[in-house]
Amino acid sequence: MSRITVQKTLKMYVGGQFIRSESGHTLPVRGARGETMHACKASRKDMRDTVEIARAAQPAWAARAAFNRGQILYRLGEMIEGRPFPTTEEDIVRAADRAVHHAGWTDKIGAVLSTLNPVSTAYVNYSMIRAIGVVVVVPRAEDGLTGLVEAACAPILMGNTAILLVPAEQAELAVAFTEALATCDLPGGVVNVLTGDVPGVLEWADKHDDVDAIYVIDGALSHERLTASQVAAARTLRRIVVGPPAETPADPIVLQRLAEVKTVWMSS
Amino acid sequence: MHHPTPPELRLEGALPLAPSIEKTPVRIQPRYGHFIDGRFVDGDAAHDFETINPATGKVLARVGAASQADVDEAVAAARRAFDTTWGRMPGAERGKYLYRLARRLQERGREMAVLETLDNGKPIRETRDVDVPQAAQHLFYYAGWADKLQHAIPGRAVRPVGVAGQVIPWNFPLLMLAWKIAPALACGNTVVLKPAQTTPLSAMLLAELIQEAELPPGVVNFVNGEGPTGAALVGHPGIDKVAFTGSTAVGKGILRAVAGTKKKVTLELGGKGAHIIYADADLDQATDAVVDGIFYNQGHVCCAGSRLLLEESIAEAFVERLKRRILTLRIGDPLDKNTDVGAINSALQLERVQRYIDIGREEGATVWQGAACPIPGTGCFIPPTLLLGVQQTDTVVREEIFGPVLSVLTFRTPDEAIAKANDTEYGLAAGVWSEKTSKLFRTAHALNAGVVWANGYNLFDPSSPFGGIRHSGFGREGGVHGLWPYLEVA
Repeated sequence: MSRITVQKTLKMYVGGQFIRSESGHTLPVRGARGETMHACKASRKDMRDTVEIARAAQPAWAARAAFNRGQILYRLGEMIEGRPFPTTEEDIVRAADRAVHHAGWTDKIGAVLSTLNPVSTAYVNYSMIRAIGVVVVVPRAEDGLTGLVEAACAPILMGNTAILLVPAEQAELAVAFTEALATCDLPGGVVNVLTGDVPGVLEWADKHDDVDAIYVIDGALSHERLTASQVAAARTLRRIVVGPPAETPADPIVLQRLAEVKTVWMSS
Repeated sequence: MHHPTPPELRLEGALPLAPSIEKTPVRIQPRYGHFIDGRFVDGDAAHDFETINPATGKVLARVGAASQADVDEAVAAARRAFDTTWGRMPGAERGKYLYRLARRLQERGREMAVLETLDNGKPIRETRDVDVPQAAQHLFYYAGWADKLQHAIPGRAVRPVGVAGQVIPWNFPLLMLAWKIAPALACGNTVVLKPAQTTPLSAMLLAELIQEAELPPGVVNFVNGEGPTGAALVGHPGIDKVAFTGSTAVGKGILRAVAGTKKKVTLELGGKGAHIIYADADLDQATDAVVDGIFYNQGHVCCAGSRLLLEESIAEAFVERLKRRILTLRIGDPLDKNTDVGAINSALQLERVQRYIDIGREEGATVWQGAACPIPGTGCFIPPTLLLGVQQTDTVVREEIFGPVLSVLTFRTPDEAIAKANDTEYGLAAGVWSEKTSKLFRTAHALNAGVVWANGYNLFDPSSPFGGIRHSGFGREGGVHGLWPYLEVA
């Protein structure tokens, strides 16, 4: 007689905690080995709570030394390297490499995108990069673990906090990813992962005035769904940034769109 | 800190108002159509409107409102120019055309300044010393970028976006035009631009200079018109990029209109700039900056310092200083070289500003108005206005008035100043004054705005990126950052 498996419920990751949906809702999904699992289905209240938590975590995250943020992202690479994930070996090593790549950006991107502007008057005029705030992130499912790492790292390396929306079918991978997040010294609330019905949760995010930006990986949403988010974004001038699929890391110009340029005229 | 009260200024008879009228002649045609494919065209005459000198109320010219067909023609011309000439030209050659245009503008600067003053109502001192020279400087600045675009985005090869549809406001008609076309053209894009309906004339004169500079036909096209023309341009399937400066309400409409398309968008929208004066500021300099921050260009400035935040210990004395300074401002004929405060741009805007002053009064503000002379009997004028005793929640503190109206608030600690300054939907610009460097830096860096002036206000430079956060829009104009909206990664 074959063994009865320990059936898992795949939790979400919010504020550094593994949580069930407050609604208690789950969706049956199939694990990598074909076993039945239950993925938490994020409710509107889960989304709203997560925005609050991400908002609260943002200033302290942005205020950390860039070097320290880099150390944490490098640690994320360490926590991915050589560990079993429900994905291909190739995806795992690419994901680890991607975390290391972005770890190196934290204390350099500011220098690449900032300028000292030679104005004609007696001011020291400089333009620097500031975080936008709370970013809802929609990765593309087919990008696997690398896609999750890429979509999470790009906004947070700019000092934002992120809420990743992951389809229930990918919840097993998302849980493995959040276990790496939970053990890499990343402060709670900087990356949060909600699972379930992505277009549905996104629709709630569209109506939430405290979401500053939505970072959508190209191809992750239908044209109609993306258009709906763009229309809704007009109400609060929310930034909608479309990023590249995970084959290539977000380049400086994509990273720039995940930040605001602030210019200071300092008297001299 | 003790600040002795300066002696009272007795202005009666001390400042005799001997007019000094700028007399450079300008030619204004009875009617303007559009500038399409290098030629002036009449366009559809079905919805002609008038452009009026707001200082006199007199009609300057009739202007055609571009129909969908006119806009189609302009976009087609811009596309042809992009495909056949401008988009393929070596950057150095494009740059030389822009340098030419900048030179022509400098050379005909006085004429341009007079025309702008007639059409807009702003003082000749400002058009002559700021609008026109800064427009020329902007063209010079971006001309120099045209052959250096490989350095615009670190590590990436770039190409132009294509045809840009640009819509600009009436507060700085020529300067906003230069801010829009200079980076677009330097990057190899072609342009269809709609000037504001109340201020079309400087664009029509610039079109002459574009002809004189022999820019290839279709590189720059101007379509005149009102809201429907702007909507036709922004919604046109033939444009690749939308750049808009104007109200937040219209900006939101543009975002909805382009949703689901591949169009790139930048928006420079409204603001409600906070101007923080600490007790340890150089109060004389700060007084002048506060005056410039809100009464410059009659307060028709998106980044105007319309919320004055005074440290409580100096608040009363500072308001007295401010009133004394305001009582030296000459309001009146914008063509008079002595004029400090000109005409409100239109009767419609006059009504809006007046309504906000009324709302302020109804919500409990004390309204104080002053100037060195009475306002003229005709034309659109509002004297510099202070709204005293207002609260953070008052309409006049939360909404953009876009007129010479300053709301005065107080604070006790730097944290309170920062919190009040940041308590707004907008985030375009802010200013802070202190002689203590650490406080100046800390406050400047804590203010949530795209531009912060530390011991200054309303300063602009082509090399310095300008633009807002939150409801003030996104994208930057000026500097290397101003190139990015007009480039694609190749």
